[in-house]
Amino acid sequence: MRSPAEPESFRLVIPSQTRYLNLVTGLAKRAATVAGMDDATSAKVSIAVDEAVTNVIVHAYGGEAEHQVDIELRFMPQAIEVHICHTGRPIRDNEVVLPDPGEYVKHPRKGGLGLLLMSRFMDEIRFIETAEGSECLMIKRVV
Amino acid sequence: MADLLIQVRDADGVAVLQPEGFINAHTVRQFEGALEALVHEGRFTILLDCRFLHYISSAGLGAIMGLIETVRANGGDILLCHLQKNVHEIFDTLGFTQLYRVFDTEGEALQCLNRNA
Repeated sequence: MRSPAEPESFRLVIPSQTRYLNLVTGLAKRAATVAGMDDATSAKVSIAVDEAVTNVIVHAYGGEAEHQVDIELRFMPQAIEVHICHTGRPIRDNEVVLPDPGEYVKHPRKGGLGLLLMSRFMDEIRFIETAEGSECLMIKRVV
Repeated sequence: MADLLIQVRDADGVAVLQPEGFINAHTVRQFEGALEALVHEGRFTILLDCRFLHYISSAGLGAIMGLIETVRANGGDILLCHLQKNVHEIFDTLGFTQLYRVFDTEGEALQCLNRNA
């Protein structure tokens, strides 16, 4: 049973397959709406979750379909937290290099855009190593 | 309903590609395949009619980016119309609205192409 101090939350564990993306993003969008966000903000949360889960499936697990991605959404008093956990190759904060959008427009190339979208659409992103594996934590505040 | 349905039609000699649903890492091969098929047919001017596109992730943007040089090198272009608000925001956030010509309607896009023909 949840103690009163713990935030309300729910978890979804999916196989590491992109066919479940739509399920996860739909749920994230609904959760953001329940947290009090408007449609435009909820859509941003949904896109950021798509990008983060895709990163896990494609990069952390290298496209291998037999792993699991653990997604937890926590309803904080003024924010929603999305915890995406996996046991694949970790992404460390210091490995994250965001493309400069101005430079990107001058010298367009394929790739690197997912993290940029995540960072623009969420208020905070952290990559954390835990005893069980790795976690991408994203926070969106209710304004 | 499928995650992504794609219709391709012709309008004033321009190939109009109309995706319906979601373009993400799961559906991007289908989207990329449809774009590549047009390019292989020599259709280098492509209008993406996004009126039924609910969202596009970076995977989909990468697919467009992967073909833009080819179509422009052949005198064509990829144009966009009818972007829904959240899709427009994705394009705008990444600076794609500076890289691609974006129109409110298909008619405006075709008119612009006809003027430049």
